[in-house]
Amino acid sequence: MNGFWWKIGGALIFLYVLIGGLVIPIKPGITSVTPSNAKSGEEMSFNVVGYNTHFLAATKVRAWLKLDSIHAISAKEIQKITENEAKFTFSIPANFPVKEAVQPLSLIVDNDVDGVFVQPNAIFATVADSSTISGEAWKSSGIGQFSVVKGIKFPYRNILNETIRNTFFHIALWFAMFILLIVGVYHAVRFMNTGDMIHDIKSASFNKIGIMYGVFGLITGSVWAKFTWDTFWTSDVKLNMTAIAMLIYLAYLVLRGSSSDHDRRAKLSASYSIFAFVALIPLVFIIPRMTDSLHPGNGGNPALGGEDLDNTLRLFFYPSIIAMALLGTWMSQLLIRYEKLKEKVLLKNQ
Amino acid sequence: MKKFLSLTFISLCAVLPLMAQGDSLDFLRSTGKIYSVVIVIAVIFIGITILLYRLDRKLTKLENQIKNEQ
Repeated sequence: MNGFWWKIGGALIFLYVLIGGLVIPIKPGITSVTPSNAKSGEEMSFNVVGYNTHFLAATKVRAWLKLDSIHAISAKEIQKITENEAKFTFSIPANFPVKEAVQPLSLIVDNDVDGVFVQPNAIFATVADSSTISGEAWKSSGIGQFSVVKGIKFPYRNILNETIRNTFFHIALWFAMFILLIVGVYHAVRFMNTGDMIHDIKSASFNKIGIMYGVFGLITGSVWAKFTWDTFWTSDVKLNMTAIAMLIYLAYLVLRGSSSDHDRRAKLSASYSIFAFVALIPLVFIIPRMTDSLHPGNGGNPALGGEDLDNTLRLFFYPSIIAMALLGTWMSQLLIRYEKLKEKVLLKNQ
Repeated sequence: MKKFLSLTFISLCAVLPLMAQGDSLDFLRSTGKIYSVVIVIAVIFIGITILLYRLDRKLTKLENQIKNEQ
């Protein structure tokens, strides 16, 4: 059992991520609001389709159309159709407190089962008479005092929906890949310093599993993209740069396979793996940040902030990185043990 | 190199159903696209299984080599 605890630990943490990451529900959200436009001074009904909502189970459903932080109107009539569908009737005031011809309004829905949820810019209101500015009709809204719901739920994102759970698998794979490649490059440097063949074996094994994780990352990212961006591959910088980085690393494998002389192979692959790792950092971290990208957090501030990764996701995302890194280390250990054994057999034969 | 080609190929096979457009596969997008998560986990599982299979074969070869020498 000695030296085995971290392997079991990795498997157990992965099991925790797998179960928790798949079982915990997504917060309620609004999928569509029809019609999406309204005219001032009219009474209008909007058909609202929600996701994971419980309109029928809730005893008290309330809805508002919000213009800005102080102006909102509450729904005149609410008609529940199904758990995920309801009809809200609003009488849009004739006068708006701002002087603009078209105003976006956000829809806020609150009920005692789901809590509060928002669809920003759900309705665009055309103002017939934008010369008269009056906020009178927008004051009597009774907004605030939302229902509080206990329990953890993952955030709802339009388009993403349930695929937000891929955060625990696709993104954690890349983080774990980095950990494995860092270990690989560490052993490459150690080999350069000492010339000990054990470091060559370790470096190659960690790099191999790291590259395998990278290939998984590309494939799983492709699947995720098909469901959200509706294409397997886009010309997004991050995708292309990562593909280049992976090709550089694939050339590492070709290089290792091409030379039969062990000493030469070890020296070449150690120096190449340092080069590949140094190339990986600007390709994956720097260039995508300098232009626009579909990936969150690129083309500006770093990701993993705000609502892209909220605290409920962190609860599973960080353990997932640890679990994947531990499982990757386990697989690398198996490769190392195999290579050591092979070396021994070869030496005996000579 | 062979390992990675076969790995990519078999993983792509798991993804292939997505390419087909039609009513029969619309279920992949039902329930809030939950099946994308299923496919992602399947890809990781298939990949790790391939690695284990190949390692198993290599070890068997080595075992036979040791056995023959004795």
